[in-house]
Amino acid sequence: MLSRLGLPSFDYVRAGTPDEVCRLLKKHGEAAQLLMGGTDLFPRMRDGFIHPRIVVDLKHLPGMHDILYDEGTGLTVGAAVSMNRLACHSAVQDIYPLLAEAANSVASYPLRNRATIGGNLCNASPCADTAPATLVLDGHVVLYGLNGEREVPSSEFFIGPGETAMRSDEFLMAVRYPSPPANAVGRYLKLGRNRSGDLAIVSVAVFGFHDGSTPSSYQFRIALGSVAPVPLRTAEAEDVLATNPPGEEIFEVAAQKAMEAAAPIDDVRGSAVYRNAMVRHLTLRGLREVWERMREER
Amino acid sequence: MVIHSITVTVNGAQEHLDVPANMTLLHMLREKLALTGTKNGCEAGECGACTVLVDGEPVNSCLVLAVEVDGRQVITVEGLAPEGELSPLQEAFVEHNAVQCGFCTPGMLIVGHALLQRNPHPSEEEIKEALVGNLCRCTGYLRIIRAVQTAADKGGA
Amino acid sequence: MTHLTSDPVGKNVHRVDIYDKVIGTATFIDDMPFGPGLYHGRLVRSPHAHALIKKVDASKALELPGVKAVVTGHDTPTQIGLYLKDRHIFCPDRVRYVGDPVAGVVAVSPEIAQEGARLVKVEYEALPAVFDPVDAIQPGAPLIHPDLGHYEVVNFIFPQPGTNISEHFKLRKGNVDAVWSQCAAIVEGTFRLPQIQHVPIETHCAVALWQPARQVTLWTCSQSPFAQRDLIAQSLGIPHGDLRVVAHYVGGGFGGKAGVSMEACAVVMARAVKGHPVKLRMTREEEFVSTTVRQSLVAHTKIGCDAEGNLLAMETQYYFGGGAYNEYGVNIARAAGYSCTGPYDIPNVKGDSYCVYTNRPVGSAMRGFGMPEIHWGIEQIMDQLAEKMGMDPVAFRRRNCVKTGDTILTGMKMPAIDLGACIDKVTEAIRWDRKEDPSAAHKKRGKGIAIMWKAPAMPPNPGSSAIVRFNEDATVNVEIGAQELGQGAFTVAAQVAAQALGVPYEWVRISAPVDTKYSPYEWQTVASRITWSMGNAVKAAAEDAKRQLLEVVADHWDEDPNDLDIKDGKVISYRTEEEQPLEKMVVYGLPNENFEGWKGGPIVGHGKFMPTYVTNLDFETGQGPRAVVHYTVGAQAVDLEVDTETGQIEILRIASAYDVGKAINPDLVLAQIEGGAVQGASSAFEALQFDEQGQPLNASLVDYRIMTSADVPQEIVGHIVETPLEDGPWGARGVGEHVMVQTAPAIANAIYDAIATRFSDLPLSAEKVFLALQRTEA
Repeated sequence: MLSRLGLPSFDYVRAGTPDEVCRLLKKHGEAAQLLMGGTDLFPRMRDGFIHPRIVVDLKHLPGMHDILYDEGTGLTVGAAVSMNRLACHSAVQDIYPLLAEAANSVASYPLRNRATIGGNLCNASPCADTAPATLVLDGHVVLYGLNGEREVPSSEFFIGPGETAMRSDEFLMAVRYPSPPANAVGRYLKLGRNRSGDLAIVSVAVFGFHDGSTPSSYQFRIALGSVAPVPLRTAEAEDVLATNPPGEEIFEVAAQKAMEAAAPIDDVRGSAVYRNAMVRHLTLRGLREVWERMREER
Repeated sequence: MVIHSITVTVNGAQEHLDVPANMTLLHMLREKLALTGTKNGCEAGECGACTVLVDGEPVNSCLVLAVEVDGRQVITVEGLAPEGELSPLQEAFVEHNAVQCGFCTPGMLIVGHALLQRNPHPSEEEIKEALVGNLCRCTGYLRIIRAVQTAADKGGA
Repeated sequence: MTHLTSDPVGKNVHRVDIYDKVIGTATFIDDMPFGPGLYHGRLVRSPHAHALIKKVDASKALELPGVKAVVTGHDTPTQIGLYLKDRHIFCPDRVRYVGDPVAGVVAVSPEIAQEGARLVKVEYEALPAVFDPVDAIQPGAPLIHPDLGHYEVVNFIFPQPGTNISEHFKLRKGNVDAVWSQCAAIVEGTFRLPQIQHVPIETHCAVALWQPARQVTLWTCSQSPFAQRDLIAQSLGIPHGDLRVVAHYVGGGFGGKAGVSMEACAVVMARAVKGHPVKLRMTREEEFVSTTVRQSLVAHTKIGCDAEGNLLAMETQYYFGGGAYNEYGVNIARAAGYSCTGPYDIPNVKGDSYCVYTNRPVGSAMRGFGMPEIHWGIEQIMDQLAEKMGMDPVAFRRRNCVKTGDTILTGMKMPAIDLGACIDKVTEAIRWDRKEDPSAAHKKRGKGIAIMWKAPAMPPNPGSSAIVRFNEDATVNVEIGAQELGQGAFTVAAQVAAQALGVPYEWVRISAPVDTKYSPYEWQTVASRITWSMGNAVKAAAEDAKRQLLEVVADHWDEDPNDLDIKDGKVISYRTEEEQPLEKMVVYGLPNENFEGWKGGPIVGHGKFMPTYVTNLDFETGQGPRAVVHYTVGAQAVDLEVDTETGQIEILRIASAYDVGKAINPDLVLAQIEGGAVQGASSAFEALQFDEQGQPLNASLVDYRIMTSADVPQEIVGHIVETPLEDGPWGARGVGEHVMVQTAPAIANAIYDAIATRFSDLPLSAEKVFLALQRTEA
């Protein structure tokens, strides 16, 4: 019932190559756990939810710590990049500030030195802070398995609470974000029980940019966290914003639609009623703030 | 239980240690090196009492394995100042009476020190944000924030 | 030592322990090395809220290599408890809350101890459970302590066998029933609080060693080493002189490390592996629900006043949810009973305060000891009555608050205090008369005030004692039994000793750790009693040492001791202006002329303090000449904003003022004020949550949130009022608990000012505020 004193015993191995990881995963199955920052893995082990025989440290694989940007491919972030490094990187700050904002919202500075983007996405908690931003930025995860590398859009990556589309022999190597449209603006809003440092009770990422192909000439993307089994985009809300010119009234309609897309539960952190209301509120605030900055930058 | 041999520099001294795979950095410091200044408050990364510097960056040592610091530099509260001296931040804590029970103090000092290293002139907001992962139940935080501010004003960490 | 401080009482000298604590060498129990013979313990705990124990099978655990012993309730047949002996150290036949310890496994490593604990098989027969105190007193409620009538109990606590009521305190003053009709306005309300936890950053930790040749040692982060010795010695039949309790720095107490909780388990486990120390350390999760918590409360209160707004009558029923064992909690209900009016002068009072068993974690002492619990309702209902009368809440309190000389609810005369001055200070600091604008259009701003009182809640005869010893170089060792929790007890002891002796503050050392083998007796470090009680004992011991010294020197100089004094570590004569340094003579004495003999010798001063004037109270009326030793009073005002879009509350400023009699160290008092304001504010948003079977839902820091540096008010303004306490050292009385007693209702009153919505139930939350705003809009 109650957590352990310290971690249960296990074997530790530092993986040297991607194939080695796949072999270990194949060999040990569920008795192997992958280690990035440990900020989710170790508490879960201490709570008794998992007891692996072997922990495979991925942080020393080649490329895991890289942050690479070029205008053609966009941003490639190695899975072991910490939240702090991600948030502080000049390319991320200049071109993907939404991602920096999301990474910076995780817990505390020391925890962000260990928490990684790969771990955050693979842990697939509905409240994962980098997930909504990754969804609206159209991030793709780069997976590696026995059959080699494959890319999965983030929209298809989250299957359920704690469940991803990774196969049992796969691990996450990197996350790729395409170059954003010019003058795109994003905002990550997070509501916690403390003013800072808490898990998200509700979170919303809003991303807006000029798009000549839509009737409204704009595209707004909205993703929600903590209010469904997975982080999710909100198609109906986004449709409304693609079809109608931006403005306070349409933002309210979109916020309502976003709320309707959410399916929060009652739990110790908050009620469904409150969470629904906060989806609406944060979406509205996010749209207003994003639109305001988009107009300034025009 | 698998034992790993590691070499880690702690407070400037090189140590050769044999550690079980599941031993955290927190337990390594406290039990292998008798550096008990770093505290165990929750073992879940929530309270910050276990914060130390690894290669100059603060981390919750309860969530780092000892094997992971092989080849690295670790600084604990005991290493913030040479023996018999106080760092500017420690002096500021004394000046402001920013200590009551003292259990959160080592973690606060480490995080405060790291903040001043990377941001020598933090605003009050930045100090509060930097300390958000270090819980204190005694002081109400204000004096700790003031102490970091004082150390910054005096140009030291 | 470059700087020497004379006459340190009243000065902001540095804490004696601060250097140790900032360099990381301050020793806490978990830091102590015990060598390779150290064993580790892990407790097997009940998964049921209420059940009979049918069978405990430790055989598989004992077969595990590395497991050295398993102890169970069979090993602890005698009961234990502070005021009411209603607990066993390990449950022999019944468990009463989720987490109740059933067995203890001792092993060579924590990991093996845990594995062993997993292998202990316990068969239970689940019983119906009850969680709410009002439910628990209904006829037909599950009886949690069927043997209540057989428990040993002190003569001022009155359990009701055959029920779940472990204490009932009655207060009858005047005649409320006759007076309601005279009231111009009456308000009635019910107020509820959940259980909350102290959340000390250091979790409970104890190491016990039972030597084959009789001596038992317990190392513990306890506020109460002597009480622990007493209770455990009694329960296990150990002579007091053979049970040694060594208490190191406490990493946060707040009452949670008072009395006995898990420490007795460690001693019993050590008994099974004689010669090996056994360490038992609580994980954070265990700390939340299986050490102690603050009791829950359901309070029904009715008050009425006359046409001028003078309070005429109060009727209250307090139902404290005491949890599974009320051995300490019974005194909380009693203290709430004899202080049930709050700091108000009310001529007619009918109060019934109950401590009630529930199948919940053990309710016990938490900072305020019943006062935060009852002030939550009192300070709100006073605001409600003031509003009904069209009176300003501050004016209402000024009119009705207790004043020096008032006959209070127990018939006692209120000792000298100045609550009016406290109210003045906070209303000024909060700019009470100014309606101030919120910082944004979607925010509402409000101000609230709350006042409080608290007396140390103790048995009538709690003693302190102290020894003051000189060393050859005239540095001084002060021996006390009081504990340093962070409140500054060691520093105050050093200041008092230095002042009373006439030596520089920097010459004084506090003999720590407190060790019942060497340290003089101290009842407990609780009740905000230490500055007053220990302070008196240290002062007496220092004065005793000083008197011995002056006699020796007077004899040496052929003078009258009354013409001598000690200043800055030297004996001086007012008559001849001669000086005698203290060095050496404080141990070796002084030679006669021509070295024809010597006089004096090692100077050891001793002193004690025990209040002698507290009386029992009439069982039917709660009346008596002297219910308590004294009261400390204070006021707090809160200025906050409510974000109407999210319900979030931002506290802008808290202003506090407390009448401490004499601030021995003003900065330490202000430090208590700041820390208390934050803990008090945080407590308004905290609650332990359980499911319908009594399983804890948020026993971790992930989901039991306390205030962080990002949540603190922008400003906390503290004021010290000094109306001397008649028998306090230099007039000092305590303040350690008082500083957070009324923060929650001050916040609630400010929220009401902001959005005209009253919250009668804790915890507050952004969600509750938001949903209430939605309802008012609808």
